Amino acid sequence: MSAAPQLSRRSFLAVIGVGGASFALGNFDGLAPEKKGASLEPNAFVRLDPDGTVTIWASKSEMGQGIKTGLAMILAEQMDCDWTKVVALQADGNGAKYGRQGTGGSGSTRSMMQQLSQMGASARSMLVEAAAAKWGVDKATCRTENGFVHHDATKKSISYGDLASAASELAVPAGNVPLKPRSEFRIVGKPTHRVDNLEVVTGKALFAQDVQVEGAAYGVISRRPAFGATFRSVDDTEARKVPGVIDVFRVSSGVAVIATNTWAALKGREALKVQWDIGPNANIDTAELRKRLSECLGEHPAAPSGSKVVEAVFDFPFLAHYTMEPMNAVADVKPDRCTVWAPSQSPDGVQTQVARMLGLDASVVTVHVPLLGGGFGRRGAGDFVADAVEASRQAKRPVKLLWTRDDDMRNDGYRPMSLHAMRGAVDSSGKPVMFNHQFIKAQGGSTRSAGNPAEARLLYQIPNATQMNGAAASPIPTGAWRSVDHSQVNVAIECFIDELAHAAGKDPLQFRRENTANPRMLRMLDLAEEKSGWKNPLPPDISRGVACFDGYGGRTVHVVELSTDGGVVKLHRIVCCLDPGYCINPKSVEAQMQGACVDGISTALYAEITIKGGAVMQSNPLDYGWARMHQAPKIEVHVVEGDPQPAGMGETGYPGVPAAIANAVFAATGKRVRKFPIRLAELE
Amino acid sequence: MPEYTITVNGQQRKVEAVPDMPLLWVLRDLLGLTGAKYGCGIGACGSCSVLFDGMELKSCQIPISEVGTAKVTTIEGLSPDGSHPLQKAWIEHDVPQCGYCQTGKIMAAAGLLADSPNPTDADIDAALGSHVCRCGTYTRMREAIKAPGRAK
Repeated sequence: MSAAPQLSRRSFLAVIGVGGASFALGNFDGLAPEKKGASLEPNAFVRLDPDGTVTIWASKSEMGQGIKTGLAMILAEQMDCDWTKVVALQADGNGAKYGRQGTGGSGSTRSMMQQLSQMGASARSMLVEAAAAKWGVDKATCRTENGFVHHDATKKSISYGDLASAASELAVPAGNVPLKPRSEFRIVGKPTHRVDNLEVVTGKALFAQDVQVEGAAYGVISRRPAFGATFRSVDDTEARKVPGVIDVFRVSSGVAVIATNTWAALKGREALKVQWDIGPNANIDTAELRKRLSECLGEHPAAPSGSKVVEAVFDFPFLAHYTMEPMNAVADVKPDRCTVWAPSQSPDGVQTQVARMLGLDASVVTVHVPLLGGGFGRRGAGDFVADAVEASRQAKRPVKLLWTRDDDMRNDGYRPMSLHAMRGAVDSSGKPVMFNHQFIKAQGGSTRSAGNPAEARLLYQIPNATQMNGAAASPIPTGAWRSVDHSQVNVAIECFIDELAHAAGKDPLQFRRENTANPRMLRMLDLAEEKSGWKNPLPPDISRGVACFDGYGGRTVHVVELSTDGGVVKLHRIVCCLDPGYCINPKSVEAQMQGACVDGISTALYAEITIKGGAVMQSNPLDYGWARMHQAPKIEVHVVEGDPQPAGMGETGYPGVPAAIANAVFAATGKRVRKFPIRLAELE
Repeated sequence: MPEYTITVNGQQRKVEAVPDMPLLWVLRDLLGLTGAKYGCGIGACGSCSVLFDGMELKSCQIPISEVGTAKVTTIEGLSPDGSHPLQKAWIEHDVPQCGYCQTGKIMAAAGLLADSPNPTDADIDAALGSHVCRCGTYTRMREAIKAPGRAK
């Protein structure tokens, strides 16, 4: 690795410039730079001030995926503005103003690309029109570049800032404005630093609990000991004696303790004596749920006669989201209005939810969205916001409501536990001739529903391919977790494809190549073969595995190298080959892929949520293991764009990884992984 | 309520707190220094790390009564403007994703570099072994930690 160049003053200022104005102002709306004179505001997403500052609001939540930077890049590109003058801010939750703000399903860039491009182009068109009018020239003879309008014939130039006032008098173009072609892009597609970097590394970035609100108290909640438990009574005598405790009261999710600081609230909670009725789930544990899942499995269809049949059942656990920042929110409920600071993946949904809770019109509910300390699907729910709003309403003051790590891990909407029964067959030439997948999951609150035919969305061309989806009755709440069902379905399929390749006597990468007609995937397989050195021999203690994923508009092939010496799976290298469609910010894409690999390692090898007595047994980063520095290998990301449309990047990098690891474990041990997380000692 | 005077970022700060209040909550709730984050409360994730007489310490793990005369440095004290070589390297390598735990990682790295200006991979593994980054920024974190050390 070469030493990074020292930042020159110029480049460091450029970095500051990106987040420059926002540095002193914070990272979300309500902290926007003040207008300085007549600004151009053609729509809700962008404002050009006379000093040249371009403020761009991201309507989708920033949770580590780089969306605030990426969305601003798209609009700035079509506006043709000077990127160093852009201030990107997180928009408030406001559906009427911003439309749908739900941030998930790897859909933010894909759903916003066209709209933001048009908004940028529209602003540019107004600036050109203002300049042309000022100079008395034909609009068509003007061009823009990096925050200026130029008229080359007369050698005239004027900055966007100087045009803001005049442009603000013009009508916003009706209908679509021609877009700048990709060949002229200067911002989109270029590796770009994240807009919040400087604030993050100086500790000035604001997460919800960092927001200073006049008169705010701190709150925590004593929660049910098991899913389905109901509140019976509380004795708060001792809790009220704890120095700093202000109040104790009931809220929907338990008993809230409000105090002058977090520690006092936690000590007050410890001193509470809460009685609960344990409810109907006292006998629910992981083994019982696995039994219910297996009872939903049906018969596989018959394999063609004369074929070689392979069968396997894969077992996946519940997973918690384990965002680095536990659930929390800040609320300030007044009789006629409410302000919340909600680290939410659904900011417009929060506005609606809070308005409904308080019987207020949405227009008087202000939802600020600070940075989200991770999301992964967890923050689409509104439970943590409801806690803060209820607490503030009763405390009659602003409340910073915090879930402890224990609260967070034991009260999640989990990635469902699931079973995957597979039958496949290959003929004497090694061609796969049938495939059946029965996917049964423990979906929260579901009743038993076995055997609904579903589309077998296979990357591979296999005749007689069928899938049945089902659910077992389960009281454990579930939710969307990075890549949702693909997090199990693709992993199980890619493990099983490896077993079919083995039965066919074929190299697993070559078997995948022979059985897919997907041109973008074929390109990725070629790339993976080359970059990983697939055909090169490995040292005797290192083994390889490969797996593919096709989803969210992208394609991945992962090759992992690992060893199993001393009964420990150790990753040595991951090669991630990605076709992202089209890259907005290559730096964000690379980061997302690396992060997804760490998730893949963590869930393949360490993390699992288990149930006992109707409750989650894990409560912290020691008993819910996540990969740490020494467990993360070198992760190489190789990107080849294969489509004019950007793919989603949040989910796409994950579903190949655990399968590639499991397949490498087979290469190392000769034993197939059928249960996650992988325990080497339990392999048969 | 007992009163304590502690040294934070070179300044004497007076606080009234119960003796068992962890330094993390003193910093965040009493002194308004919110750069250190709460992640687990059991010293197992490193979101709250600060320097304690130059050594990394999980601030959720030390009560105010035991801080004494130690010099506490938080991210706010590492540099006022992001000019510390680690902060510059963190930006240059685009280490942060969600950003929540990053100040703790930078403080841990600062503690490491004070001891070993040119840390090996094993040194970095050891120094960050008690940390978790849920976004999985380890590859870039390692690059950034090596960068300022090597530039010396």
